[in-house]
Amino acid sequence: MVHHVMGVPGFYPWLLALWLLPLLGAIVCFAFGPQLRRVAGAFASAIVGASFLFAVICWGVGTQTVGGALGAHQVLFSWLPGFDFGLLLDPLSLVWALVITGVGCLIHIYSIGYLEGDRAFARFFAYMNFFIFAMLTLVLSDNFVGLLVGWALVGLASYFLIGYWFDRPSAVAAARKAFVINVVGDVGIMFAIILIYSRIGSLSFGDVFANVDKLGTATLLAVLVCLFLGAAAKSAQVPLHTWLPDAMEGPTPVSALIHAATMVTAGVYLIARCAPLWSASKDAQLLVGTIGGLTALLGAVLGMVQWDIKRILAYSTMSQIGYMIMGVGIGAYEGGVAHFLTQAFFKAQLFLGAGLIIHALSNEQDVRRMGGLAKKMPFAFWAMLTAVLAISGIPGFSGFFSKDLIIYGTLANGHPWLYAVGILTAGITAYYMFRLFFITFFGTYRGDVDPSSLGIRHPELAGVASAHADAEHLHMSGWVMNVPVAILMVPTVFSGWLLFGGTHSPWARFFVSQFAQIRLPAAPISEGLTSVLTFVLVLAGITVAYLRYATPSAQRNAVERLRRETVGMPPVLSNAFYFDAALDALFVRTSQWLGYLAARYVDPLVIDGGVREVVISTQWLGALARAFQSGLVRAYAVLLVAGAACFIAYYALAGGAR
Amino acid sequence: MSGALSAPIANYVALSGILFFLGVTGVLLRRNPLIMLMSIELMFNAANLLLVAFARLWTQNVGQIFAFLSITVAAAEAAIGLAIVVVVFRSARHVDVDETNLMKG
Amino acid sequence: MILFWILSILLIATAVWTITASKPVYSVVGLLAHFVALAVLYLSLSAEFLAVMQIIVYSGAILVLFVFVIALLSSGVAPFSVGPNRLPKALVPVMGIVIIAFGMLIYAVSRTSMPAPTGQTLGPVGSAGVFGSVADFGRALFTTQLLPFEVTAFILMVAVIGVVLLAGDAMESSGSAAQAKQVHREMREAILREGDR
Repeated sequence: MVHHVMGVPGFYPWLLALWLLPLLGAIVCFAFGPQLRRVAGAFASAIVGASFLFAVICWGVGTQTVGGALGAHQVLFSWLPGFDFGLLLDPLSLVWALVITGVGCLIHIYSIGYLEGDRAFARFFAYMNFFIFAMLTLVLSDNFVGLLVGWALVGLASYFLIGYWFDRPSAVAAARKAFVINVVGDVGIMFAIILIYSRIGSLSFGDVFANVDKLGTATLLAVLVCLFLGAAAKSAQVPLHTWLPDAMEGPTPVSALIHAATMVTAGVYLIARCAPLWSASKDAQLLVGTIGGLTALLGAVLGMVQWDIKRILAYSTMSQIGYMIMGVGIGAYEGGVAHFLTQAFFKAQLFLGAGLIIHALSNEQDVRRMGGLAKKMPFAFWAMLTAVLAISGIPGFSGFFSKDLIIYGTLANGHPWLYAVGILTAGITAYYMFRLFFITFFGTYRGDVDPSSLGIRHPELAGVASAHADAEHLHMSGWVMNVPVAILMVPTVFSGWLLFGGTHSPWARFFVSQFAQIRLPAAPISEGLTSVLTFVLVLAGITVAYLRYATPSAQRNAVERLRRETVGMPPVLSNAFYFDAALDALFVRTSQWLGYLAARYVDPLVIDGGVREVVISTQWLGALARAFQSGLVRAYAVLLVAGAACFIAYYALAGGAR
Repeated sequence: MSGALSAPIANYVALSGILFFLGVTGVLLRRNPLIMLMSIELMFNAANLLLVAFARLWTQNVGQIFAFLSITVAAAEAAIGLAIVVVVFRSARHVDVDETNLMKG
Repeated sequence: MILFWILSILLIATAVWTITASKPVYSVVGLLAHFVALAVLYLSLSAEFLAVMQIIVYSGAILVLFVFVIALLSSGVAPFSVGPNRLPKALVPVMGIVIIAFGMLIYAVSRTSMPAPTGQTLGPVGSAGVFGSVADFGRALFTTQLLPFEVTAFILMVAVIGVVLLAGDAMESSGSAAQAKQVHREMREAILREGDR
């Protein structure tokens, strides 16, 4: 076996501190929550901020190249032969670590304002710090087992945070759903690990990537399918995406951090990390690229018909991650990772902006009951506008660069269908994001309109807050919430410029050693033409949204328009293509049926029956033994002599026979 | 007293077996603990007889030494057995072995 | 040969008398005759020391002990059979098996070919240095067979301690004996309560 070390081995105290500090914060927040009270938020934010600082300090060692080894490798301990646990910081994990801690820090600060007055303030920050630690474990691990541990821990943190308001039944159900689907993915990764270990005998990334040829085509495909099962569950890919919209039951900062910016992109990280494996299997690349494209399209289509502002953003997240998965799946790793970076900024900003609105309207999440907020909330208006422009891919904004890199990569790698899907989805994305934007900020405020006149039949089921806010007395957010959003605006607008300049861009040079072996071939259509095509569709999408929701006449008739759209929604769309129902029928019902069988037959007859049989036979044996324990000395004597007589008889007969 | 045994060794063995059997019968059939103890003495003696007879047959005094040991054990057994009888009598005011059944399960 | 037959009949007869006597004192008398007859048989088998030991230990010590105990127990009412015969009927066939087994033993023994005597000539009884003499036995007991002799001493010591513990007065432990009785009663009640469930 070729032993291969990724990263320069050594002792990196900053790396350890970066990794362990959030764990410390989580423990302190959990143990001393009642003592910390309001301070918990500031403390947890400071912890994550410090972690971000350490990540910046680690930039140098993370990008170093010594003798073919890239990055920093901190060996921690050896557990089994072939399994040494350690930390690996290379450009790929550095990008993730910076985003996790950087965006994470901003969202922590934002949460201080958002959760003002919540009962379990410290518990929330304990969970958030724990999530940061788990996510760092995932991206910094130098082996598959460590990755799986982090993978499962972020799932746990996600469960805690979705179900943070555990007195809401819907939140508890959503948390459970997310956890169960994520565990399906965990099991997939575990199978992949077993397969890898059985063939290669090592689980460190370096050893596995150096011995890819040992796996064989079929096993490699099986490993990759198993790994992708994990990635699909965590990154909400079709058909395991149904948990993500439901996960919006958690507090909005949680949606921003976990279910938009970081955790759901773990699947992208996994595929990018295992690039040497994926590049060795065309079939797996095609599978992942197709699923990614499908998810991007499906998410965008479903995003067009949602009314809950967070659900729109959730489907948009699903769609954007579909882009990333498609990118890394077909081999455009730089593009996929770049889209992760830009999406983390603009999607966090979208969620935080939505959080500003929800906070101001006393937990109102239905866009039909908003409207005309541009004048009332100018800051939120500008924050949302920049983010919407970025996600739509308007040239100059961050999303434009990264999305085009992926779309161009699909064609360069010979997938024209995915190219078409990518361009189409870009247009749809622009439509639904501007639909959200126009409905929310244009026209007049509809919070005081009767829900039924908007077509909302069951307000309590549609996420409509029972006590709507008075339009004149909005609950405006303070600087604690505004400053993080303002800071996020900078990378939302400008981070895309890192990608400007083709192979000489800062981004390409940053990753030159990471994905050196994977260079995109030239595409039949130039990158510039791709951008133009995309931009045309984006403009078309914006135009349609404008015509439907933002022309002066549409603004005047907004209530009637929204009512008609609500009532006329085809059931197939309002039920999200029946994915939930299908999964329910396929797996939940089957499990329930199996559970019923077990409860009806297996448990009483086999489990209980076995125990009962043991009891009965023990009683029977006891009764038998009791008969001998008569207390009569002479009875004992008879038995003793009878035993002796048997021996005597045996020897007498044996002796006589001889 | 010289030369061979005064009777074939098989006779001694048969005699010993019969005596032992009588001892066993006494233990099993009698309910009086004193007679049961005496029957046990009968069994000891039957075994001793066999030891002595074979010691004589092979002119090895190890057999006699062992019979000596056996007599000691018999004495100890009788002493302890009678002590038990006395203790039982003290607490129960009788020594009927069929009525002494505290060990009944 | 004639001596053997006479002694055999005597031994069997006294043994039967011992186990069938209606009173323990009669049994003791039967046993005494049995021991004496056995001592004579030992003498005929050149076991002088054992013959003497038989008389001294069995007749002198053990039987006297029996007589003392009989005297102690019979001072009041005769306590030997106060209830019905409780031996289960199921054990009767077991006894049958025992009888058959012993019958087979005796039959097998009578058919077994025993090793031939060595034919070594023996000196007259009582002379030193001859097999079976007291001197020969004593020398063996203190030289080659010292371990069995010491074991004998140990067994007797254990017996003495056991008898003292069993039948001796519980003098210094009377306080804790009351306590132990209390504990015993509580345990008994607890067991009965458990049984009621």
